[in-house]
Amino acid sequence: MFNPIIFNGDVCTGCNKCVDVCLMEILEANPEKGKPPIVKYPDECAYDGACWMQCPQREQGAIKIVPPLPMRVSILRGEQP
Amino acid sequence: MNPGIEVVQVDTDVLIIGGGLAGCMAAIKASEYGVKVTIAEKANTLSSGCAGTGVDHAWAYIPMIHEQMGWTLEDLIEDHTQLIARGFINKDLLRLVARENYDRMLDLEKFGIKIRYEDSKIPGKFRIVYQFHTMPSSFNFDGHDLKIKLTREAKRRGVDIINRVMIVALLHAGGQVAGALGVGTNNGKIYSFRAKAIVMSTGRANRLTPNKTGIWGNHRIPVNETGDGRAMAFRAGIPVINMEFLSSGYYSIGNYELNLGSPRNTVQPAAAVTGATGEPIVPRTQFYDWPNLGKEKVDATLNRQKMLSGGQNARPHYAQLYRQGQGPFYLDLTGGTEEEIKYIEWSIGNEGKGSLFLDYLKNQEGFDFRRDKLEWLPNSREMAGTAASGLVVNNELETEVRGLFGAGDEIGGVPWTGAPGAFTMGWRAGEKAAKEARTQQNHLPVDDESLAALREHCSGILNNRSGLHWREVEIAAQNIVDYYAGEVRAEKTIQRGLERLEDLKKNTSFKAENPHELMRCLEVQSIIDNAEMILNASLARRESRRAPFGFFRADFPEQNDKEWLAFLALKKKEGEIEISRIPVR
Repeated sequence: MFNPIIFNGDVCTGCNKCVDVCLMEILEANPEKGKPPIVKYPDECAYDGACWMQCPQREQGAIKIVPPLPMRVSILRGEQP
Repeated sequence: MNPGIEVVQVDTDVLIIGGGLAGCMAAIKASEYGVKVTIAEKANTLSSGCAGTGVDHAWAYIPMIHEQMGWTLEDLIEDHTQLIARGFINKDLLRLVARENYDRMLDLEKFGIKIRYEDSKIPGKFRIVYQFHTMPSSFNFDGHDLKIKLTREAKRRGVDIINRVMIVALLHAGGQVAGALGVGTNNGKIYSFRAKAIVMSTGRANRLTPNKTGIWGNHRIPVNETGDGRAMAFRAGIPVINMEFLSSGYYSIGNYELNLGSPRNTVQPAAAVTGATGEPIVPRTQFYDWPNLGKEKVDATLNRQKMLSGGQNARPHYAQLYRQGQGPFYLDLTGGTEEEIKYIEWSIGNEGKGSLFLDYLKNQEGFDFRRDKLEWLPNSREMAGTAASGLVVNNELETEVRGLFGAGDEIGGVPWTGAPGAFTMGWRAGEKAAKEARTQQNHLPVDDESLAALREHCSGILNNRSGLHWREVEIAAQNIVDYYAGEVRAEKTIQRGLERLEDLKKNTSFKAENPHELMRCLEVQSIIDNAEMILNASLARRESRRAPFGFFRADFPEQNDKEWLAFLALKKKEGEIEISRIPVR
């Protein structure tokens, strides 16, 4: 139902570090070497961010975690100071 | 026996079940005694446990600072006993944590964790903030990669780490621990461990009630912590306490289910929580007046009295305020100085889901603490640190089974030991287990009967065509706990809950397509066992014990210290549950 983890195939090197560290074991290495992992059980994501934290290509934008709509924070926006 | 499931035999001296903070500390310490140490971890020690993606605070008695205040170790112990536990606490274990955590923080520093800061005006160059006690007692530190560093240290010392193995059975014979059985969560193999000593450090129990946002994985504490440790202990006839204290959910950034990991449940300094009128419900907190450290000695007794009478340091009852029309609530940092906001962002970024949260706030929501406020919403119910549920251990962390030790959040009796409890108890349990292992010449034989039973159970689930998906059973079990062990409990409703749980067990036959789903089925089995403990303990405690435990029996509305100032222990014996009271001293 959800799409919690989005990989950027142009940046991700397919190192599978995220597959190793995933708390919930929801990722699977791509059978095609060098390609981003497959999110096999997206509905079991814990949103703890271990994959994101330990991604060597994080700064380059290889991985993005997107909280589903009911998880998005409720913000009372203030005026620009 | 299904010949299809391969059995991996592992013999070790010290087996550590669960490689979170307590488990890693236990392994590191045990390795100093020339014994073989093995960690069995359900996920990966690089990211598992409550501090899997970081912890930024840990309380301790810090002699070089607290002595200058005139605040003694006994004062910290009294603060914790009265303010946090209202006297309902195992004080000997609390003393162990209070006395030793400063040394453990210095050990963490040796393992590469940054705990000192050049810009700090505090002795030791530490960053110290208020949390549970009348005086600032919690280190703030760079703990975002703590688990990576502890894993590295454990490996450097020769600890064998077996990731992706879920332990489900604890084996003992003749009052002596023998080993444990587990299931490979991605290879489907069965792991048969023989060990001369075992440390149970499996952490808290989660996923016991439906989750608030409807997003399954969205819980404040790790969602793969399904109370496996206490469930396997219970099944093995080892006593467990405090299971009745499953609490209502707190308020925080509820839709994201995180507490921002912060002392006093907001973020300090500078944060306030405001209500409908904009007036603060939790006022802004301030840094301690460090430049004047030591100028005036504190009167700890008076400070405690003030806090207890003023209701300070207690979380406001947001649900009640909400019912009175005082919501919505907002976390408000807009009045903070640049220095304060930078500090807060640093601290959030080191704790739990915090670094991901900050990134999400900034890059997906365009949020700025200087300008915007975050709504404070209810969290899911949980077996919180307050409950302090878990194994019964003595001052030396020994259970009633020789060679079996408990550590961290898996032991019962000390509310909110959290990371300090994991560091100190893990360390001590590791030492004790290693010394115990050295006294044992040989392993006890493999329990062939239990091994065959587990193989049969697992192949039954994997070959079941008509059984239920784990999710279906989980939802049913959670609904039972939520309704029958809810905010108000009473004999008849709890009994009805137990009847329905029995029905659920009768109607449940799990099916799994692969080892991953098999793991989830075994987790749901843990949830069902935890539910059984929660309902039985709720039924047996014939009193109410509200602050801070939130335990209310409509048929016994008063607190009854004469009879019930006691931990309630559940122990399975020949299929029946034996209930006993362990007096709180």
